[in-house]
Amino acid sequence: MKKTPIDKRIMARMKAGVLTYSGFLGKDNRDFRQIIADDEMSLEKLGVTAEEIADRLEYFQQRSFSAFQGSAIVDDIYEVDTEVVRGYLPCPFAHQGVYRKSYTTIKNTKSGKSFTFSALNIHLIRDHHFFEGRGSHFRLEPHELIAELF
Amino acid sequence: MGGIAVFLALIMVIAQRWLSNYGEVTININGKRDLTVTGGNSLLASLGDKQIFIPSACGGRGSCGACKCKVLEGGGPLLPTEKPLLTKEEMANDTRLACQVKVKSEIKIEIPESIFNIRRYHSEIEEIIDYTYDIKGITFKLQGGETIDFKAGQYVQLETQPYAKIKQRVMRAYSISSKPEIKDRIQLIIRLVPEGICTTWVHKHLKKGDKVDFTGPYGDFYLRDTQADILFVAGGSGKAPIKSMLEHLKEVGTNRKMTYFFGARTTKDLYLTEEMQAFEQHFDDFSYIPVLSNPEAEDNWDGRTGFVMPYFKEAIRDPKNTEAYLCGSPGMIAGVTKSLVQEYGLDEDKIYYDSFG
Repeated sequence: MKKTPIDKRIMARMKAGVLTYSGFLGKDNRDFRQIIADDEMSLEKLGVTAEEIADRLEYFQQRSFSAFQGSAIVDDIYEVDTEVVRGYLPCPFAHQGVYRKSYTTIKNTKSGKSFTFSALNIHLIRDHHFFEGRGSHFRLEPHELIAELF
Repeated sequence: MGGIAVFLALIMVIAQRWLSNYGEVTININGKRDLTVTGGNSLLASLGDKQIFIPSACGGRGSCGACKCKVLEGGGPLLPTEKPLLTKEEMANDTRLACQVKVKSEIKIEIPESIFNIRRYHSEIEEIIDYTYDIKGITFKLQGGETIDFKAGQYVQLETQPYAKIKQRVMRAYSISSKPEIKDRIQLIIRLVPEGICTTWVHKHLKKGDKVDFTGPYGDFYLRDTQADILFVAGGSGKAPIKSMLEHLKEVGTNRKMTYFFGARTTKDLYLTEEMQAFEQHFDDFSYIPVLSNPEAEDNWDGRTGFVMPYFKEAIRDPKNTEAYLCGSPGMIAGVTKSLVQEYGLDEDKIYYDSFG
């Protein structure tokens, strides 16, 4: 499929070393549009929307902000920590707006499984249905999020 | 057909050169000083070429919003790229992003006088200390006999070099942790950020002897010269500016009552503890109080736990004669400020902070 100039610009911003150290695609050889399409297909099968996942991640993030110095226990079984560091990140999709450099870790204390995501991840999932490429630092697997966080 | 295409391309190149040639234009600063620059560049870059450094954490990509300044005339219309980073009040009072404003004609701007003290410095890495598993202290020795004047609490912007797969330079802000009385070198305390381009460079690639440029000093978070009691509150790498303030006070001498609350999760996040305890020995009335939110069993921690706020009552004897200096996450700053004002009665205008935002 021929790439549009906008797609080329987005791909360039997703590369390692442009906005983040490792970039947004990891070792995934798929085009970012294909990554989105494949994840959307998975979500459709699972019956949960990207917006619902983003809302859920934001719910945990907001709850942990109030416990800024330590872990927040959310819904009895989730231990949630958010680290905020100096600065902001723009979105690789190259539109207006920046996202605080905050990193939230949710641990499901029942299963022991944990996930770490940034404020930018919430935006990427909600507005672009982009969970990042496989092998990237902040790749989130939709089926795992649904299994552990819903 | 081919000839026509070549001809049209030639016309376009000539037109572009002609249309984008703005010649020499003047930037008037604060109604006092005129700079002559070549038109067509951003205001941020044009000022930088004249050694006037407006803060910018993203290198002029319009993503950080740090390069705000007032453009009174000649800035053209507000751009869509600026709006998300400006408040309604800022838009109403002619505030713009210097990185987005193109200097095409005479332009009048207003910037704080303190910006004229900002310079670019060339330095060499003199020392790297591991403070914790993810925090390093790095000393930058200035080159060519240069010296730097700053106030305890201010910050500089480090410029990275291309490294590994990183092809472009980035600029990131870090508080100075050394005292202003040392003028030929500065120390920064830098925490490793996941996927951070600058912090990865600092933590994994930077070594003793490397040459590094930075600009500064920036910021209005600095120690006020009063006799009020002081409450310092910091978390994580927020310890840097407080360390600078304490070292400065040690140098100039003080009998102010001072209490320093440092919030961390576990004992492995504590650092510079011996230095802080040495300050307790030096000053007449200084207490260092670490507070852990999530001490682990093996920490055998018998100090204070939970939030820092409940412990403020140990330190505040006269809220109207107390200044607070806060450095940490926006959540911490908001929570502590609310507590100090609403529960302890401090004046909000005596609460100074450097938010990681």
